[in-house]
Amino acid sequence: MTVIFAVVIALAAVSALGVVLSRQTIYSALSLVLTVTMLAVLFLLLNAQFLFAVQLIIYAGAVMVLFVFIVALLSPDAEDRPTLDLRAVIGILGVVVVTALVFIAARNGITYSTSGFHGVAVGAASNPYHTFNFPQDAVNNAGNVQTVAGQLFTNYLLPFEITSMLLLVAAIGAVYLTRRSSP
Amino acid sequence: MLNPNLFPFLLGLAAFLFTVGAMGVLIRRNPIVVFMCIELMLNAANVALVAYGRFLNSEEGQIFAFMVIVVAAAEVVVGLALITQIFRLGRELDVDDLSEMKE
Repeated sequence: MTVIFAVVIALAAVSALGVVLSRQTIYSALSLVLTVTMLAVLFLLLNAQFLFAVQLIIYAGAVMVLFVFIVALLSPDAEDRPTLDLRAVIGILGVVVVTALVFIAARNGITYSTSGFHGVAVGAASNPYHTFNFPQDAVNNAGNVQTVAGQLFTNYLLPFEITSMLLLVAAIGAVYLTRRSSP
Repeated sequence: MLNPNLFPFLLGLAAFLFTVGAMGVLIRRNPIVVFMCIELMLNAANVALVAYGRFLNSEEGQIFAFMVIVVAAAEVVVGLALITQIFRLGRELDVDDLSEMKE
């Protein structure tokens, strides 16, 4: 189990670097496909089966096909290798410092600790009208899709409906922006 | 139960992905790659949400990550439509050149 986690985390990190450092845009897109696939596997390992399927279908399927399609359509030139100017130095420093700080903070139990706050308290406090009385550990058992759907269609029904409005607006916006005759 | 020692690595991966994406937005000039880096940052947030949800025995993180995925999909549609429109106007695809809205 730990070995799988190590391989997945390492591959995700390396392919994320590939997105930024590739000179050809198509290589960036293919690296991003590997990253999102590895994150899907990570979701599966973390018992988020529903998100695993959604990540594969929406990201690795729809979004990345759209990206590759646009890259093939526009065929942008290869960029020069990024020079080591002030922006790059600030970026690299940010990557190293922030990652190290977050890792150390999590390691020392600042962001999360098993004794500090419990999932039961968090779940009960954020959710006083819990209509679906699943046991707290049910999230991490086999019926994950069931518990997520139970929450999504009861307590989080309004955000879910607003999502449909967002998708409609995005579709209308895309059609408007890509019309042939711009006003 | 999952090994709690794993949690720092997951959160570290999330921070790494987010900062790499931010670095890409800083140093890359092709708007398509900039959009890919924004996708990377959104995915990093998803990793953190799912990791917290897993270790706190709560499904809210997964629901929030689902919403983030939907917003990312909508954002990609509009962004790529903008990029094709810029390309159709005969402009070079370079974010440093697109500065009409500066003044």
